[in-house]
Amino acid sequence: MKEFPVPVQTAEDPSVKKQSGNIFSNVFDELVRFAQSRSLFMLHYCTGCGAIELPPAMTSRFDMERLGIQPMVTPRQADILLITGYVSVKTLKRVILTYEQMNAPKYVIGICSCTVNGGMYWQSYATAKKLNDYMPVDLYIAGCMPRPEAVISGLRQLMEKIKIGEANSWQDYFKRYDYYLGNQQRLFGETWQTPTDIIGESKHYSLHTPETEGEHTRLLELHQRPLEPLEMRLGLSEKTEDR
Amino acid sequence: MRAENYEPKQHPPSHEYELNFGPNHPGIEGNYALKVKLHGDTVVSARADAGYLHRGFEKLMEQRLWIQNIALVPRICVPDPSPMEVAYSMAVEQLCGLDVPERAQWLRVMQLEMSRITAHLFYFGGHAATTGMYNPMFWGVADRDLVLDLFEELTGGRVYCIYNMPGGVRRDIPEGFLDRLSRLLDYLESRLPEYDNLFFTNHVLINRAKGTGQMSQHQALEWAVTGPNLRATGLQCDVRRDDPYLVYDELEFDIPVEQGGDALARTLVRRSELQQSIRILRQIIQRLPSIKGPIRAPIPNPLAWNVPAGEAYVRLESSKGELGWYVVSNGGQKPYRVHVRGPSSMHAVQVLENLAKGSRLEDVAQIMFSLDACPPEVDR
Repeated sequence: MKEFPVPVQTAEDPSVKKQSGNIFSNVFDELVRFAQSRSLFMLHYCTGCGAIELPPAMTSRFDMERLGIQPMVTPRQADILLITGYVSVKTLKRVILTYEQMNAPKYVIGICSCTVNGGMYWQSYATAKKLNDYMPVDLYIAGCMPRPEAVISGLRQLMEKIKIGEANSWQDYFKRYDYYLGNQQRLFGETWQTPTDIIGESKHYSLHTPETEGEHTRLLELHQRPLEPLEMRLGLSEKTEDR
Repeated sequence: MRAENYEPKQHPPSHEYELNFGPNHPGIEGNYALKVKLHGDTVVSARADAGYLHRGFEKLMEQRLWIQNIALVPRICVPDPSPMEVAYSMAVEQLCGLDVPERAQWLRVMQLEMSRITAHLFYFGGHAATTGMYNPMFWGVADRDLVLDLFEELTGGRVYCIYNMPGGVRRDIPEGFLDRLSRLLDYLESRLPEYDNLFFTNHVLINRAKGTGQMSQHQALEWAVTGPNLRATGLQCDVRRDDPYLVYDELEFDIPVEQGGDALARTLVRRSELQQSIRILRQIIQRLPSIKGPIRAPIPNPLAWNVPAGEAYVRLESSKGELGWYVVSNGGQKPYRVHVRGPSSMHAVQVLENLAKGSRLEDVAQIMFSLDACPPEVDR
C-alpha cells in the first residue's frame, strides 16, 4: 500500500519539546504512545452509508485486526469514533453524547465526503454539513464511499499520528468548548444540554483556557435542568433538617 | 442455620422497565433504534424509533435534474442499491415512452441478480452473527466481496455502481467478463454445501431460529409483508413472476417457498433464492453473447431534458421485497414529485414491533436481521 505523507499542523515545535524535560519521562511517553497506537478500539456505531464498507475492512479479506484495531460496543471503552457518512441532526445529538462519554485520549475519524462538506446531501434540510463544527476531527477519509483499502490506510495514518504525538484533537474540545457548544446550540436550540461536565473535565486534564467558557457555556448554566428526580432531593432536604 | 431462622428475602415483584435498544448497539442493523419495554427479559412491547438516517430524498430529488438523480437514488438502500437505479430509470423511460434495447434489458437483469446475491450473502452473515456464529459472517462478507470485484470491473464502483441511466445502461461488459462471472458462480455453488454444514443445518441456528418471530400468512398479508419474508409463510408471490419486467418472462427460475414463517424459514428461503439467482445468471451467460445491438436508446440532451408530463409507477422485486417507485412529472426539467415504496419501511416498523412482542430480548436482534430490514430505506 502506498503511503502518502500527511501535512500536519502543530502548535508547538516537537524538536523543542524533546529537549526539555526528563529524558526518562520522554522515553516513557514514547512507549505509552506506541502502545496506544497499537491497540485501538473502534466504536461500533454505524451513522451512515459508509458503514457498509466496514464489514469487509474488518473481516478476513482486509482484516483490520492485524493492525490491532477491533470493534468495541461501549463508548466508554472505545478509542476511535468513526463517523461513517452523513449525520442527520437526530444522529448528531447521539454522536455528541457518545463522544463526550468516551475517555481521553479519543480520536474522531470522518469517513465519506458527507462529513467533510455535506457531500451528496449538501442541500438537504436534515443533515449537518461540516462535522468539525461540532466536534474536533483527527482525520478525514474522502470518497463516496471510501474503499476498505482507503479506510485501512486512514487508520494507519492515525496510528502514525498517535505514535509521534500529534493526534491531539480531543484536547481541542476542552480548550475551545465554547465554540463547539455554540455551533451545537445553533443547531439544537439554546436549551441543549449534555450530561457530561466538560468544563470540570477540562480542569481535570489541565486544559482549561479562556476559550473554554464563554457566552454559550453561560447559557448552559441558565437552562440547566436538575438531574436528580424531585422526590430524591426532597428526601435529602428532609433528612438534613432532621439533623 | 436452622430452618426457622431462615427468612427468604422477599424480592419486590419484578416490574416493567424500558430499554433503549440502539442506535449505538451491536445487535441493531444500521442506525436504528427500538424502545423496548421489558418484564424480566421478555419483551412486553417494542416501539420503533426511526429517523436517524433521514436525508429527505424525496425533497432532494425535486431539486435536481432528471439525470442528476441517478447518482442520488442508489443511496436510498445501502446493502442492495441496484434495484433503486433500475426502478428509477424504468420510471423515467415509462414517462418518456423510451424503448430500451434488448441487450440493455439483459444487462440490467444481470446487475439485479448479482446485487441480489450480494445482499443475500450479507444477510446470512448478519443473521449468523446475531445467533452468535461469527464464522458464517466472515465467509459471507468475504464471498460478497468477490461479487463486488466484478461490479467494480463492470461499473467502476464497488457498492454504488451507477450503471443505469434512463434509456439503457452506461457501458457494455468488458472482455472476458462472462467467463469470470461463470467461474465465480461455480465457486459460489461449491461453497453452498459448506454453508449448509456450517450454518443452515447447524443446531445453533435451528434451535434459536425455529419458532422465533413467527407470523402466519394472514398476518403477513395484513402487515403488507412482501418478498422473501412473505414467501417464508408459504405464499408464492414474486413480482418477477406475477408482473414480469425487463426480460424475466424469458428466464426459467423457481420461486422457493417455506412454510414456517419464522426466522429459520426466512433464512432458508433466501438460501434457495441464492441458488435461483445463480441459475438465472447462468442463463444470462448463455444468452447474452447472441444478443447484439445498442446498449442505450438515444436520449435528448440530459442537461436540458424536459420529461413529458404524466405519472409512472414501477414495481420490481428487490432482495428485501417489493419495491415501488412513483414518479410524477409536470413537463419540467426536474421531477415534480417522487415517492418510494420501500419494503423495509413495513418490515422494520410495524412487523418488527409486532414480532418482537412476547419474544425474549436476545431474539430481538435476530428478528430484525431475519426480516432483512434496511434502516436507510425506512428513513430515506
